[in-house]
Amino acid sequence: MKNESTVIDVPAESSSAMKGSAPLIGVARDHTTNGSGGYKRGLSIFDFLLRLAAIIAASVAAGTMFTSDETLPFFTQFLQFEAGYDDLPTFQFFVIAMSMISGYLLLSLPFSVVTIVRPLATAPRLLLLVLDTAAMAFNMAAASSAAAIGYLAHNGNQNTNWLPICQQFGDFCQKTSGAVVSSFVSVVFFIILVVLSGVALKRH
Amino acid sequence: MAKESTTIDIGETSTVTKSTSHALVDEKKKGFVTAAPGGGYKRGLTIFDFLLRLAAIGITIGASSVMFTAEETLPFFTQFLQFQAGYDDFPTFQFFVIAIAIVASYLVLSLPFSIVTIVRPLAVAPRLILLISDTVVLTLTTAAAAAAASIVYLAHNGNANTNWLPICQQFGDFCQTASTAVVAASISVVFFILLIVISAIALKRH
Repeated sequence: MKNESTVIDVPAESSSAMKGSAPLIGVARDHTTNGSGGYKRGLSIFDFLLRLAAIIAASVAAGTMFTSDETLPFFTQFLQFEAGYDDLPTFQFFVIAMSMISGYLLLSLPFSVVTIVRPLATAPRLLLLVLDTAAMAFNMAAASSAAAIGYLAHNGNQNTNWLPICQQFGDFCQKTSGAVVSSFVSVVFFIILVVLSGVALKRH
Repeated sequence: MAKESTTIDIGETSTVTKSTSHALVDEKKKGFVTAAPGGGYKRGLTIFDFLLRLAAIGITIGASSVMFTAEETLPFFTQFLQFQAGYDDFPTFQFFVIAIAIVASYLVLSLPFSIVTIVRPLAVAPRLILLISDTVVLTLTTAAAAAAASIVYLAHNGNANTNWLPICQQFGDFCQTASTAVVAASISVVFFILLIVISAIALKRH
């Protein structure tokens, strides 16, 4: 085994200075990695809590719309005297979509827990971000299409001779409007969730 | 100035280490030019992001203008319905035109940010800004597209329970044009979802 050897001149003053500063550099680096893990863990906990809140908002929306039946005590000449969510296909879509969103949120809770336990892992966060974006778009579609129909029910449309049915079915209209508002609240939660996942994915 | 000196023994594998370190130095030199292999793949993603934005600009401008010009005047007089239909007869369609126009102008304003992420593929701040604002604009686009879609569905099918008559049977051209605009807006929603996913993947730590 051939051994080569070389001589390196080390100036005395700089060596003591380097010896003094090296441990500090080592400590600073450890501190930074722990710090980023801690701050990401905080974001993940907030993410988990937001998901619980969004589950409540989405299931309240679906339930309120589902039970928004109203039967009028009298008979009106032109309109049916019963109104329910299944009389309007858009409201049917709303109920189905919000139930699917609630189910998705429940199934995403374990992934959120994984991001709490392993704050530096990027794969669960990226998966959650992609699925949350799609779910948010779906939620928004259901909410805004139901809002358009709700607006029409409240105001009608003179140009197309569509009469506002809320004047007869006040309770039905109130409940459906409440369901739509709850669904919009769930959309806001989703926006915050997507932004959270994006910030937590950030490199340092 | 007192000098210390130390002796370092380099073992037999010196030639092997010399060649690998030479390769490492070369990679480092290359790295200064292309900002490392990680930067290359991100740059590809960002170029795709820029192209998607251009396509989305085209589609949203198309959707907004198609809905804006969706008028029809019937040649005859009908007893119960107005014989003219335009986008301003429906508040939802008015919201659609305005919202999609706002989305189109946002996309034009976001092009410089996209170019910045192409030039500096490892910068985090522009990508994060794009991700957040893309999420907000996705929400607005989906709202406009879905609301207009529900009104178009109603115009096509009507509703027996609420006595809302389907107007498409009289205003066929108007319905077709409005439906085309809604489909174009839905395609732009898909583009936005892709843009958000691209930003997220590019933000990822390696």
